[in-house]
Amino acid sequence: MTDGSATRLWLMRAGFVALGMAIIFFQLLPLETIPRRFTGPDLLLAFTLAWAVRRPDYVPVLSIAAVALTADFLLQRPPGLWAAILVLVTGTVKKRSTGLRDQTFAVEWLNISFAIIAVTLVYRLVQTLLIIPQAPLGLASIQMMMTIVTYPLVAAITVLGFGIQSVQPGEAETFGSRS
Amino acid sequence: MAKDRTQGEDFVTPLKRMLSGVVILCLVAIFIIWRIDSPRVERFRAQVVDKLVPSFDWAMAPVTGTINLIRDFQSYQRIVEQNRELRRELQKMKAWKEAAGQLEQENARLLDLNKVRLDPRLTVVTGVVLADSGSPFRQSVLLNVGQRDGIIDGWATMDGIGLVGRISGVGQSTSRVILLTDASSRIPAQIQRSGQTAIVSGDNTVAPLLSFVENPDAVRPGDRVVSSGDGGVFPAGLLIGHVALDPGGRLRVRLSADYERLEFLRVLRNPGTEIITDPGSLLAPTRTGETAQAGEEVGYD
Repeated sequence: MTDGSATRLWLMRAGFVALGMAIIFFQLLPLETIPRRFTGPDLLLAFTLAWAVRRPDYVPVLSIAAVALTADFLLQRPPGLWAAILVLVTGTVKKRSTGLRDQTFAVEWLNISFAIIAVTLVYRLVQTLLIIPQAPLGLASIQMMMTIVTYPLVAAITVLGFGIQSVQPGEAETFGSRS
Repeated sequence: MAKDRTQGEDFVTPLKRMLSGVVILCLVAIFIIWRIDSPRVERFRAQVVDKLVPSFDWAMAPVTGTINLIRDFQSYQRIVEQNRELRRELQKMKAWKEAAGQLEQENARLLDLNKVRLDPRLTVVTGVVLADSGSPFRQSVLLNVGQRDGIIDGWATMDGIGLVGRISGVGQSTSRVILLTDASSRIPAQIQRSGQTAIVSGDNTVAPLLSFVENPDAVRPGDRVVSSGDGGVFPAGLLIGHVALDPGGRLRVRLSADYERLEFLRVLRNPGTEIITDPGSLLAPTRTGETAQAGEEVGYD
């Protein structure tokens, strides 16, 4: 509850927004103007989940919604849909994060994989129901697989690069009372 | 301690839950409004892009340059080989250039003989590519010209050689070009030599499909595909590409524009195709004054 930890909290919250913007920025670079057979992972989704499962207080609902909505607008997606699904899923992930804290990484990976699959399925389902033209199934499933496969790397970058550890048991009360 | 924590949670959690509920509701509302009234939200999207992307611009150009430099560096390994190849091609090109010069003169002479006047109203605005769509599922690029340069939705966009796409979404200083390869792109086209019309429909691959060809047997790979101007969408006669057969036996268009490096694009100012509304009147002797006038007009032609 010291001043230092409060500064760090807001610093990391700003850091998440900056990270999101950086990912969108690199996706927007005009490097690939021919259609791709293959697609990389959805880094924004992976990073959001990796941060949410470690430190739910660093990724408040509002910043997730803001980043995801900006991505929706800039990346020519139906605005609001992906953002709403992402907020919903990170909500459930945050709720489970206390339980996942003591588990091995494999369990976390499994849980996150389910979350990623759920996001993709719900997104496609809603698009199908509302008859919105959607991406080819092949590309979408490649992207889903790539996101799942690269999740350990993203988690490693989150822990080593950004120094975000899971909430330690000793820290729990500060975390509980603040967020 | 533990008691404190539970109390804190009791106080905070419902508030948080309500907040996330409200946020999700807002997002879903935006989505539903988009679904109901798409053009308005798309205009809003164009404005958002117009505000955000040019502010990235100072960083985008150097980063793109650097990455392209690194990519080019990988190709330096083959530079000697490439150089030799280029010299050989250059020699071939010189012969072609000679031929082209002669043909140009001949063409000018023939055009002069026929009194053909090329459309003088077809001028261009050149723009620089700011960003691509950012997603593997959408094929579009963002140009740095917009409303203030007089860009209007629907105008054709070309690179030096061939058609690239169509303007869709104009902001104050940016505009989006839907590429021919995008899954939602449909362009009326004409296959030259056989003169058949078709639709060039993008399907997120490098070579768009040629659909609605009446007689596919009359079309041969290598035939030129140009825009037909049907529907008044595009001016007629813009080069799109050449016909190719894919392994599945379907007709596709190999695009002439260099999609690998879209840097500068030309937006064609299209004043709109004139429509003939007059059904053609009866040729009958009219009052003498008018007849004289009509005669004069014919004389001028």
